[in-house]
Amino acid sequence: MSDQLSTTFAALADPTRRAILARLASGECSVTELAEPFDMSLPAVSKHLRVLERAGLIARGREAQWRPCRIEAAPLKEVADWTLRYRNLWEQRFNRLDTYLHQMKAKEEKRHGRKQRRK
Amino acid sequence: MVVSSAANSSTFTVTTPSDQEIRMTRLFDAPRRLVFEAMTKPEHVKRWWGQLGDGYSVPVCEIDLRVGGRWRFVNRHPKGEAAFHGEYQEIAPPSRLVFTEIFEEFPDSPSVVTPEFAEEGGKTRMTATVRYPSKEVRDMVMASGMSTGAGISYDRLEDLVAELQRAK
Repeated sequence: MSDQLSTTFAALADPTRRAILARLASGECSVTELAEPFDMSLPAVSKHLRVLERAGLIARGREAQWRPCRIEAAPLKEVADWTLRYRNLWEQRFNRLDTYLHQMKAKEEKRHGRKQRRK
Repeated sequence: MVVSSAANSSTFTVTTPSDQEIRMTRLFDAPRRLVFEAMTKPEHVKRWWGQLGDGYSVPVCEIDLRVGGRWRFVNRHPKGEAAFHGEYQEIAPPSRLVFTEIFEEFPDSPSVVTPEFAEEGGKTRMTATVRYPSKEVRDMVMASGMSTGAGISYDRLEDLVAELQRAK
């Protein structure tokens, strides 16, 4: 499972491939259509598609001659699940710590406060 | 009287000092001695670290605060448990701490966390630098939305993931 995740991360670690996925999110299309917005040769685009296909992020039709590409949601769902766990985690932790520090401080002041008057 | 519980939340910043690192800073309204203590004593860590709302608790919180000593925290959450462990590499109260952190679900991706504490007008500024095993892992952590607008353009991916989630 974590191997699949590594493969997915590696495939996503490229802006062209992410752009291809974004384009495919709005519907399947051919390699030629996918290549249009990029200043890139068809073989170069095909190479990116092979990486995405190996990572299971896209599937290519066998039926039609133009072999349309479509996005596969499963690996992305795994990434989303993984990243969701990290979402804002530290910010939430820090907020909790801040609140807790106020309690710690209040307790200390209660314990020592009577001896030493604060300004 | 304590006015607001998250009064300093706007001081939270995230930057990427290198390809493999994320650096977070935040101001805390307490002396650094207390902040250091809150991060290194189980009775305190249990009270804030994994307490992210209803259904959250910290059933395991072990700290052996020595160089080479291990720590292990388990966070019980509404959907299960998440366990983390690591080892202390440097202990310099109240200014600096270095430890490794392994999320047990991804044992091959250990990170090194370095929290540093600086006095700032009676408050404490914590600067926590987290070093990930690769740029890819770091980027995905960034992409998770931990720091919006920190310069990594995973916007399209985020939109895509959001779209897929809406479609579910």
